[in-house]
Amino acid sequence: MTREAQHNRRIAVATLLVCLVLALLCVWYPLYVIRPFRAQGARELAAALVVMRFREAVTLLCCVAALAALVFYWRAQPRKWRRACATAGVAFVCVLAALARVNIYELMFHPDDRPAFGAAANIKLDPAEKVIAIKIGGAARAYPIRNISYHHVINDVLDKVAIVATY
Amino acid sequence: MWGRDIAGLRLTFHLAGINNQNFLMRDDQTGTYWQQISGQAVSGPLRGSQLPFVHSDELNFGTWRAEEPRGTVLQDVAPYVAEYAPKDWDVQMGRARTVIDFHEHGLKGRDVMLGIQAFGVSRAFPYDQVIREKLVEDHVGAEPVLLVVGGDGQSVRAFRNRIAGVKGPSDFYRLPASPASAAAALLMDAATGSAWNFQGCAITGKAAGTCLEPVQILKDYWFDWRNFNPSTTVYEK
Repeated sequence: MTREAQHNRRIAVATLLVCLVLALLCVWYPLYVIRPFRAQGARELAAALVVMRFREAVTLLCCVAALAALVFYWRAQPRKWRRACATAGVAFVCVLAALARVNIYELMFHPDDRPAFGAAANIKLDPAEKVIAIKIGGAARAYPIRNISYHHVINDVLDKVAIVATY
Repeated sequence: MWGRDIAGLRLTFHLAGINNQNFLMRDDQTGTYWQQISGQAVSGPLRGSQLPFVHSDELNFGTWRAEEPRGTVLQDVAPYVAEYAPKDWDVQMGRARTVIDFHEHGLKGRDVMLGIQAFGVSRAFPYDQVIREKLVEDHVGAEPVLLVVGGDGQSVRAFRNRIAGVKGPSDFYRLPASPASAAAALLMDAATGSAWNFQGCAITGKAAGTCLEPVQILKDYWFDWRNFNPSTTVYEK
């Protein structure tokens, strides 16, 4: 093996490891901090939200860099099992990049992206059911809490006013 | 309940996380994260911004429908109905564990409070106590307010205790009988001798045709209210 090939191999391995660690952090850290039954500290939450804001771009870059590193590595590394390990590492980075694009909170609580509404007179709901009620102009609307506490967020427009009903 | 138009943008929100059991939402347009309870941007390009407030009430459906027979209601999403909370969700939630606690005023984390954030201060009223008293005359900061329990015995609204043309707060009295209809009289005030309904509007007497200004109530668990309103005072009698 030439010195140049050895050098390329080392750079490729280092790049791959950095990408792997970075992508892993991008997925794991927000999951670790923002768990439902765990207290969130102000600083760690702020850090997790910053990670969440940028992780799609960061993991995409990791993917591209890891793939480039893999190409260099294949050229510099003749052993098949090491090549296989490097390929598995890159595949893992790509999986992490895909996971970074998944909103797990909306997997748990499916969004209602197209809310539909019925006339109060026709809706069959127990009179004791709790609702969040609003009135804008002459328009009145109610959001049953059993419904909205599952979807959590309803993007709506009432009397031309854009609102978000939350619970 | 918040408005979605801010900084020249119409935002669309999605559930995006949780902060000590109060959820975070993210808007599609800027990627900013917003706190549900406060409507404040906590991270992202619009950090520090505040969503416009939209008044809402938490009521029993029967009470609301009697007031607004021509209103509309959010419909269930059929594939997820089985995942919605059970009918006794409030009882079950009352037993759920909290991740933070504030051992103050003899309150437990899951005690239900009626929180008012207005007039520069925060004040919380124990829900059970308000239900028992049926009419609470109090102050939030320097502002006199009324908390009124509806005829269903569960819904609560708050109003500024200021009647048009009357100097200072008025003494209100609860009428003994529960109202037969949404528009029926619930209260009477000493200053004008007017009868008032649950919507805060005078239906007879000198003040007839006028309404009290509504004050937003947030029905919330003590731990959550206290976490986001650290300087809150608590109504105790």
